[in-house]
Amino acid sequence: MRLLMWWSGRALSSAATLLGVSVLIFAAVRLMPGGFAETVLGPFATAEQKAELAARYGLDQAVFLQYGHWLSAVAGGDFGVSMISRQPVGAELLARLPVTAELTVLAVLASVLAGVPLGVLTAVRARPEGGGAAGRLLSGLGVSVPEFVLGSLVVFVFSRYALGLKVGSWVPLTQDPAANLATMILPAAVLSVFSISVTARTTRDAVMGVLVEPYVTAAVGRGESPWFIVRHHILRNAATPVVTLIGTTTAYLLGGALIVEHVFNLPGVGSYIVQAVGRRDYAVVQAGVLLAAGVFIVMNVLIDLLVGMLDPRLGVMAGRRS
Amino acid sequence: MSLLSVRNLVIDYPRTRALDGADLTLEQGESLGLVGESGSGKSTLGSAVGRLLPTSARRTDGEVLVAGEPVFELPAARLRHLRRRHLGFVFQDPIASLDPTMRVGAQLRLVLGRDGDVRFHLGRVRLDDPRVLRAYPHQLSGGMAQRVAIAMAMATSPELLVADEPTAALDSQVREEVSNVVFSLAAEAGTGILWLSHDLPAVARRCDRVAVMYGGRVVESGPARRVLGDPAHPYTAALAGSAPAAAPHGVRLHPVPGRPPVLEGPAAGCAFAPRCPFAEERCEHERPVPVRVREQDVLCHRAGELEGRLSQGDAVSEVKA
Repeated sequence: MRLLMWWSGRALSSAATLLGVSVLIFAAVRLMPGGFAETVLGPFATAEQKAELAARYGLDQAVFLQYGHWLSAVAGGDFGVSMISRQPVGAELLARLPVTAELTVLAVLASVLAGVPLGVLTAVRARPEGGGAAGRLLSGLGVSVPEFVLGSLVVFVFSRYALGLKVGSWVPLTQDPAANLATMILPAAVLSVFSISVTARTTRDAVMGVLVEPYVTAAVGRGESPWFIVRHHILRNAATPVVTLIGTTTAYLLGGALIVEHVFNLPGVGSYIVQAVGRRDYAVVQAGVLLAAGVFIVMNVLIDLLVGMLDPRLGVMAGRRS
Repeated sequence: MSLLSVRNLVIDYPRTRALDGADLTLEQGESLGLVGESGSGKSTLGSAVGRLLPTSARRTDGEVLVAGEPVFELPAARLRHLRRRHLGFVFQDPIASLDPTMRVGAQLRLVLGRDGDVRFHLGRVRLDDPRVLRAYPHQLSGGMAQRVAIAMAMATSPELLVADEPTAALDSQVREEVSNVVFSLAAEAGTGILWLSHDLPAVARRCDRVAVMYGGRVVESGPARRVLGDPAHPYTAALAGSAPAAAPHGVRLHPVPGRPPVLEGPAAGCAFAPRCPFAEERCEHERPVPVRVREQDVLCHRAGELEGRLSQGDAVSEVKA
């Protein structure tokens, strides 16, 4: 019963959030300077030409009417047609989604596999007299270097000295997994630098917070070895902030993928949206942002569920005595 | 060889000195009550026995021997062995000393190993309700959680149990029961107890010996009834006079006047001198060395001459005058 209540509450608030996002994005797209007609027809088009084009796409209607049409279509699963390519947006997004998903999954894997051990190790080794300056500098650098800088650098270096890795020639995963990985590994590495740094730092802080807890002192007093304590008492207790971070970072990585895909010329959702924004292709931008918002919301629900499973005090079922 | 021997132990934190040359011995199977105000160094001394101090603590001088082994000199593996075989710890906050993300049953199994009988060990601390095993620590009462912690600490029948105010967070009814569990289990297993406490009457009733701490040193130690009933150190006398149970009904309690010291380095003389009604010149400049008065070891320059003048009432009236 409690679980059912929780789920229906989450579904309701998620729907409300999505609706809010749809209004915002619909308005934002139309507030961008330079409308669709101007971008397509160029600076020398006459007013009649512009009006004719606007009428063809229904852009002469009142904005709230346009919004109504769009919303009811989206609710039925129809994201409209790209105004540039005349292709259905939904199908195009679906075709491009695997590339972005693969990129994001690789980057998340890298942040978990590299960031978490780094964080645990530096926390367990930390000494009170400070130190760790090198680690802080490195993670600070990792957080602050933008993807387009690092990406461009990597593209430049690797397009000269290939090292067996390819830049700019994407191969579908289904066609040749090894060749696909060879093209994806560099963009994924560039994308993951930020999240590895943040994950390592968050893990370190979380572990250091747990290290001073009385139950850790109690375990040390029982004569348990450091790695036994890390495995049984620290990892799970330090996991909450790290899981939360990785969840939100996953959604954030989709944004980073936008730039990385563009730089590495990968046919993902990101490069599609970047092009669409440049051409004021309203339907594509709206669908893309709605998709990102959806991922964000789903990730947040997953985080809450996972955190509740990790820490019984925070769970969906918390408060019920067993 | 004593089970526990602390010699001239000095522990420093970044800006304060917690222990300023503490001495303590505890024999096999003996129960020793360690009393003193907050900040006197009780907890630091208790933690130092198992080298469980926070990482910011430094041992500046002295040594701790447990079963003859120098705790602060041992390599990591032997230290773990010593903790596992010889030592047990129980802490003040019972719920916080259990892992919040693990069911009680799982934690007990983790500590007891594959062959451990979880039910048996819970029965020893008089927890028979099987629902305890399925519960998470935050779902337990303080008394139940402390019994679980005691079961874990006593599972290996350690030679020495360090109990850092294990009943301070519990209400009075439960306090008695938990103390009973600890002392009867320890008597059964021949375990020595270092019992850190504020509760003088309970210490007088349950412990064989008492050590009184002040300013990071043990200022008086000896048989419990002698130390608390006929103190040889002015501070013990004042402390005993301020204990609620020591006064007859209707008589005003006399708190120890002044504040306990916060040391930054070694005390120049006797740390209690500024609050002591019997202090004289040398008390300010000369560190007292232990002297034997009756059955007590006392850190006081005037311990000998004050014999007989330190009944609790006298100390208090001198303070008032």
